[in-house]
Amino acid sequence: MAETFAIEGGGLTRRYGGFTALDAVDLAVPDGEIRGLIGPNGAGKSTLIDVLSGRADDWQGSVRLRGADISRLSAQQRRRSGLARSFQRTNVFPELAVREQLEVASWRAETPNVDEVLHEMGLAAIAHMRAADVSYGDRRRLDLALALIGRPTVLLLDEPAAGLSMKESMALAELLRDLASRWKVTVLLVEHDMDVVFSICHRITVLHLGRVLAEGTPAEIRSIPEVVTAYLGSAVE
Amino acid sequence: MSRQAESSALAAAPPGAAPARWTWSVLAAALAAGALLPQVVTSTLAITLLTQAVIGGILATAVGLLIRQAGLVSFGHAAFFGLAGYFIALPARHGLWPAEVSIVLAVAAPTLLAFLLGLVIVRIPGVAFSMLTLAIGQAFHEFALRAREITGGEDGFAISLPRALYGVPTEIFQRPQSMFVIAWVALVVILFGLHLLTRTRFGRVTAAIRENEERARFLGYQTVVPRALVFALSALIGAVAGTLFALYNAFVSPEMLHWSLSGSALIMAIVGGTKLLWGPALGGVVFFFFKDLAGDLTEHWPAMIGLTLIVVTVALPLGIGGALVRLLQRLRPAGGRTHG
Amino acid sequence: MLLQTLNGLVYGGLLYILAVGLVLIFGLRRVVNFAHGSLFMVGAYVGYAIATHFGNFWLGLVVSVVVLAVLGVFLDAVVFRPLQREDPIVTVLVTFGILLVLEDAVRTIWGKDFLSLKPPAALAGTVQILGESFPTYRLFVIALAAAVAIGLSLWLRMSRIGLFVRASSVDRTTTAILGVNTDRVSVLVVAAAGVSGRVSAPVLALSPCMGRLILIDSFIVVVVGGLGSFSGAFFAALIIGQLHNFGVVYLPWAATMIPFLLMVGILIWRPSGFAGQHV
Repeated sequence: MAETFAIEGGGLTRRYGGFTALDAVDLAVPDGEIRGLIGPNGAGKSTLIDVLSGRADDWQGSVRLRGADISRLSAQQRRRSGLARSFQRTNVFPELAVREQLEVASWRAETPNVDEVLHEMGLAAIAHMRAADVSYGDRRRLDLALALIGRPTVLLLDEPAAGLSMKESMALAELLRDLASRWKVTVLLVEHDMDVVFSICHRITVLHLGRVLAEGTPAEIRSIPEVVTAYLGSAVE
Repeated sequence: MSRQAESSALAAAPPGAAPARWTWSVLAAALAAGALLPQVVTSTLAITLLTQAVIGGILATAVGLLIRQAGLVSFGHAAFFGLAGYFIALPARHGLWPAEVSIVLAVAAPTLLAFLLGLVIVRIPGVAFSMLTLAIGQAFHEFALRAREITGGEDGFAISLPRALYGVPTEIFQRPQSMFVIAWVALVVILFGLHLLTRTRFGRVTAAIRENEERARFLGYQTVVPRALVFALSALIGAVAGTLFALYNAFVSPEMLHWSLSGSALIMAIVGGTKLLWGPALGGVVFFFFKDLAGDLTEHWPAMIGLTLIVVTVALPLGIGGALVRLLQRLRPAGGRTHG
Repeated sequence: MLLQTLNGLVYGGLLYILAVGLVLIFGLRRVVNFAHGSLFMVGAYVGYAIATHFGNFWLGLVVSVVVLAVLGVFLDAVVFRPLQREDPIVTVLVTFGILLVLEDAVRTIWGKDFLSLKPPAALAGTVQILGESFPTYRLFVIALAAAVAIGLSLWLRMSRIGLFVRASSVDRTTTAILGVNTDRVSVLVVAAAGVSGRVSAPVLALSPCMGRLILIDSFIVVVVGGLGSFSGAFFAALIIGQLHNFGVVYLPWAATMIPFLLMVGILIWRPSGFAGQHV
């Protein structure tokens, strides 16, 4: 009998204007795993997140969440079934106060854990401030906090550490690992910072030109010479 | 100061706060002021002007609500204003049903129409929405103009109203002194209702959708229906203004649907300031007095409002209301909050 | 019936030229010019004034082009460029203000009554088409619109600006316009609006509201075609042109309702228009 995965994509394909961004990608992430998704620019990482989360149109294949087919669900329906995502470019509600927007998010969640998320993400002190007025790092964490409301089953993160300092990135990585294990969240993480990826991911998938090039544990990925020279450079040495 | 920082100076009350006691006092004071004003202002000319200004202010509030709560700019709100007029006038002309029923329909039908249209057009983002509302306004105006057999065409016609409406002598609606009070109460009740609405979940969710529609969807919200509801609510307020206008003048014509009325309502809202709930209404009052002062120059009224719109949009993005609030804040740095 | 189709083609052609201008400015600057129809109107009136004063139709056309090109430079420098970084709605409001001012200016100078202009002598006659006579001038307008359509599609394929405009209509996040001379495009767009206004003068009656009326129809064309799409606008213009003409001839009381209802119908069926991407 087949194992049920937290999130599973089968034959995911997306083309636009003659360009194939995703070419029959299969991906299956078991419960509780933190999966890294790496590859050069244009490899299809963000497209994959978009397809899984319901942001893309005109795509083929299937998406399953804990075994249930969610391919035909809209973005908002997928979120309500427990699939949350963050965005590469900070994507919050600038004119709303930090707490206010987390509350708006919580009204759609079965477990409205606003205070918990504020606390975990270190946003409690600025809860009353408008998102437009807080620092860049706080806004990045707010973006993640919005996705964490309701303790989602699966979290798709599109470069959560983009623009953060090395210290901030590592702190975020620790936080993610900690939350994922305590809340039993399955994470699919797209990230350019290889230190973050290799320090917290259980397994890593390498995408290249819309196809899966390799998949394995961080150690296995490190041992593939092409991957190291092409995409990792000195980051893992 | 950047626009962003400016608007933060006008930030609303903290989220989750219950309506403060002072808001009830403001409500009572506003209602009393309106009731007393006709006792103080004895000039019929002045009170006539004020009545027009308040009805205009209600229409501007409708347009302003749509900007404030949905981020959508309408160039076609005269459609809802004018439809309300025709919903009162046409049944009376053909003796279809009692005027009391017509008045209910005059408010309900444009609201329903706006909701259904809203389901289609709010999905079109930003600027294109504005383009479509211009087309909506124009379609209804031309229809009223051309479909002479139904609407009486360009000249319009007088509405034959019964002696009493809901037991109130119809005359009450047509004397400026009493109509001013009715329109004023309507405006105050609408503003107060909207003030309460912004504190509800619906108010918060629509504000979030206005801020970032995509993210709202990724938080699990269906975003078309809430925006269509805001559009419908805005049309409802526009229809209330149209109903008052039609009862007051006992006359309808395609002028009530004209694009320049839509444009004027938008300009009132922008000039008054759309970040503030009461900004558009203030803009309406300023608009009518400015128009009265312009006197002989009103021949070039369109050009004057055009220039005013350009200047206010570029130089005073928060409108007169926003400028006033900031002035007050500067005078009293420790002063109270503005209510949004 | 054939003649009606050709008449519809005349209006559709004018709509297409205007809609292309709107699409181009939208593609380059992400803004919509609400004064676009007024430029059409100003072109028509300036051409009218020159033509009636000097008795030369073509001189009027040339002067309109020059006046509108200058106006285009001015608008780009004073309105579009400075407001580029603001919310697009700011440009909408400002250009709406310009619309009011231009309409009032034209009304003040030329009055609000309808004016009409005769086509030039060379194109004044009629042509026999399948046994029916059709004004030569109208064929000229159709030919001109076709020339614009062909020229434009070639230009969009070959030039850097064309590449940019096409790219930006596919990827809405593209904002930087690197090394593209957008001023020239703005001038071209405004001049094209003026020319189409000018050539329309013998076909449509001149009135201060002509600009606004055709603006609304070209908005419908742009939205129905799919915001930012040239081919979508082309087909939408052909359809709206036919419907408009059909409405004016057979159902005058519903002439503006028909394109509007068509628009609503299409948006229900395809929320982003014929050729639009999902946004």
